Amino acid sequence: MTTARRLSLLATAALLAGCASVSPDGLRGDVTALTAGRTAGVPQAALPAMAPAARAQAQQSIDHWLAQPLTQDAAVHIALLNNPGLLARLAALGVADAERVQAITLPNPHLTLGRFTTSQEREMERTLAFGLLDLITLPWRTARQAERLQIATLQTAQDVVTLAADTRRAWLRAVAAEQVAATHERMVEAAEAGAELARRMAQVGNWSRLQQAREQVVLHEATRQRARAQLAAATEREQLNRRMGLWGQQTQYQLANQLPPLPAAALPADGIEATALRERLDVQAARRQLDTQATRQGWSRAGAVFGDIGLAYSRNTTTERATGSSDIKRGWEIDLPLPLFDWGGAARTRAQAEVEQSAAQLQDTAVRARSEVRAAWLTYRTALDLARQQQAEVVPLRQLIAQETTLRYNGMLASVWDMLTEARNSTQAVANAIEAQRDFWLAETDLQLALTGTSPGALQGLTSGAAASTTPQGH
Amino acid sequence: MNRRNFFSGAATAVAAASVSRVALAALPEPATQSSADTAPPLHPPTGRPYNPVVTLNGWTAPWRMNAGVKEFHLVAEPVVREVAPGFMVNMWGYNGQSPGPTIEVVEGDRVRIFVTNRLPEHTTIHWHGQRLPNGMDGVGGLTQPAIQPGKTFVYEFVARRPGTFMYHPHADEMVQMAMGMMGLWITHPNVGKGATHPHIAKVQRDYAFLLNAFDVEPGSMTPKVNTMLDHNIWCWNSRVFPAISPLVARQGERVRIRVGNLTMTNHPIHLHGHEFEVTGTDGGPVPKSARWPEVTTDVAVGQMRQIELIADEPGDWALHCHKSHHTMGAMGHSVPTMIGVDHRGLVGKIQKIVPDYMVMGERGMADMGAMEMPLPDNTFPMMTGTGPFGPLEMGGMFTTLKVRADQPAGSYADPGDFKQPSGNQAYEWQGAAANTPRPVRTDTPGTAPGAASARKPATGTHQH
Repeated sequence: MTTARRLSLLATAALLAGCASVSPDGLRGDVTALTAGRTAGVPQAALPAMAPAARAQAQQSIDHWLAQPLTQDAAVHIALLNNPGLLARLAALGVADAERVQAITLPNPHLTLGRFTTSQEREMERTLAFGLLDLITLPWRTARQAERLQIATLQTAQDVVTLAADTRRAWLRAVAAEQVAATHERMVEAAEAGAELARRMAQVGNWSRLQQAREQVVLHEATRQRARAQLAAATEREQLNRRMGLWGQQTQYQLANQLPPLPAAALPADGIEATALRERLDVQAARRQLDTQATRQGWSRAGAVFGDIGLAYSRNTTTERATGSSDIKRGWEIDLPLPLFDWGGAARTRAQAEVEQSAAQLQDTAVRARSEVRAAWLTYRTALDLARQQQAEVVPLRQLIAQETTLRYNGMLASVWDMLTEARNSTQAVANAIEAQRDFWLAETDLQLALTGTSPGALQGLTSGAAASTTPQGH
Repeated sequence: MNRRNFFSGAATAVAAASVSRVALAALPEPATQSSADTAPPLHPPTGRPYNPVVTLNGWTAPWRMNAGVKEFHLVAEPVVREVAPGFMVNMWGYNGQSPGPTIEVVEGDRVRIFVTNRLPEHTTIHWHGQRLPNGMDGVGGLTQPAIQPGKTFVYEFVARRPGTFMYHPHADEMVQMAMGMMGLWITHPNVGKGATHPHIAKVQRDYAFLLNAFDVEPGSMTPKVNTMLDHNIWCWNSRVFPAISPLVARQGERVRIRVGNLTMTNHPIHLHGHEFEVTGTDGGPVPKSARWPEVTTDVAVGQMRQIELIADEPGDWALHCHKSHHTMGAMGHSVPTMIGVDHRGLVGKIQKIVPDYMVMGERGMADMGAMEMPLPDNTFPMMTGTGPFGPLEMGGMFTTLKVRADQPAGSYADPGDFKQPSGNQAYEWQGAAANTPRPVRTDTPGTAPGAASARKPATGTHQH
């Protein structure tokens, strides 16, 4: 082997190793590209930057958003910039990138130096040994590490879209809870008027203690429900604070005073399964996993049979002690494991099983994605119908009942308490409408996530609505 | 008044009496009434003469003479009755109104009544109080098959005794009477010219009306047929004060008032300013020796009372049922008494929740008579009516007997408000205010006499 040839070999190795440099932005650009259009209705949300100047600018933006009544888009922006958990995930992605680079950097060659003396000779051994397999498999391994990193990137992107969805849900719950608490304030006012009038009725002898007690119980029931509603408003706001990574002075922001209006038309159910299979990040990750395993199967066979092939170049100098004349022995050594015992069967089986595992996982993910998107769409559609019914039918009916009861009060056909009860029922209907509107937007968030993001987990829309709804009479 | 329609109907019937035998073989043309006003008395154009009655807010059915038989045609049908201006009720009635037209005949007349059923269900007519063949008594299932929708039945009998009678269905009776199906029947005594019946005096004014009651949910139009006693619309001839016509009389005239009760409770009918005698009941004229003077007579359920008086005191005299709830419009019986409850500081608070709220009942309910508050649609107010001195605070079984020295004989025109002669009217005391000591009053509720006093002191009842 000539020097030139040796140099060219080293140059190739250096070139291959040179590809393996870490991404300067910690792969955030890749994550941003993957999450574009998938972050809970926010078209292009920024992720925390590496540069200190950009971080300071992000803090300014956060302060600016918090200075105004907080919209859901602003909440999502803040969460993606400021959530410490997400920052940790992004940092972990940076670690994975560094590990990738580490993994595909060629191992350093071994230089063995030996000095042996006998009575006649002095021998100097110089061996430059190089693990050949690493070099041979470098293109494979580079591709594999790139794929693994892509999977990690996809997983981080899923974390981003999940955080965006969680933030949006938290915002919806917090805004709805604050509005509901305000309706309970009005219901308490109505009950207070009724109880106070009842007290005066008993005072002048028009009512018995029994009748008065009934109105006092109504007041206590109303204050009990108000306390729960206020607690719910505070805890939902804290959930939102956690998502946005806020503490201290920053938590003093004001929430927007209403939920977005219901859409005029529902999203059609056409092609939702195809969209989910095409767009969802978890499906993409599972598909990538299968590809990786399949390519790995190819070279794993060779690797498993031949183990590590070693190449060594020796240059030994033998010097006769008596004469001082020296002789140089040069030579190549190749180190091959003999496939006597391990014919690579186990490794092959393992690789094949891993391919099967990945294929099954992809199928599982796809089946889940299809089912989730169907369930999410049904929940979305039902939630929209229920919210429209509450808003367009029930609330106006309750208001009509309250107005008609007032007319009956005018005609001495109904009492002040009948009128106040209907005023409370009417207010309760408004609270129910707010909750139904919230449930719709929660279902919409689930649907968007199930359609283009990742698994929304248990659907939040209607189940949570049923649990959170309150009844006016408390029975 | 809508006399034109009435007379055109009557004229048709009379005209029919003079046409061919072919026409007489057909059903008499049914007359119909579109007005709830009091029609003028129908002087008999054919048959034996008599002094006709005036049906308050009603009318008398025209007839045709067919070979000496008086033929009437009643059509049982759904109607919309104006119970008071602006208050319409879906009822069932006869010939366009509830109650149906008054049937006036003379003792000894042979009467043939065609009854056509235009209701959605079967019906019959029972001739309440009449002596008649059993098969003409009109009890569905007992004396005849019911008249099916679209069918016409014929009743025929001789009006054997004079007096005040009623007619009403006797098939699904509860529902059909709750819907307003009823009418008056007057059999005038058969006396020759110039002669008088020994127990039936000749009168200058002869008024007749039925007592009936409905339960109309405020804001609705159709009576609740299953209500037994808790009615809210107490009527005379399906009409309530101030929409009931006044009774008018010239000073000194003899006035007869015939009242029949088809509600489900009794009504003590009371007249101001005069005594009267009950001169007739369901059973016929009361012998003079058996009469006694009264100012109130109770008309029990299913009864008729015929009272007579000399209207010799000029003025506007109240005539009403003495059950005070029966002179009221629709009211909420469960609305609590608010008298004496201080509303200070609460009005604003309640108005914050119910912007249209106004305090009512704090001093009593008289405010209701004066206040013009929006009510549910088609709702008759609890108190209404205005006189020359302010709100009357009435509604229901109430009207007036207007006695005037200058009321022309035979005129039923409303003479307007009575001009009170000076010195003959209650007036306000202008001297020093009354200075009577108020009795000492305990403000806290006590225990019933004899009850065990195991309760805590009453001061503990008013916490917070």
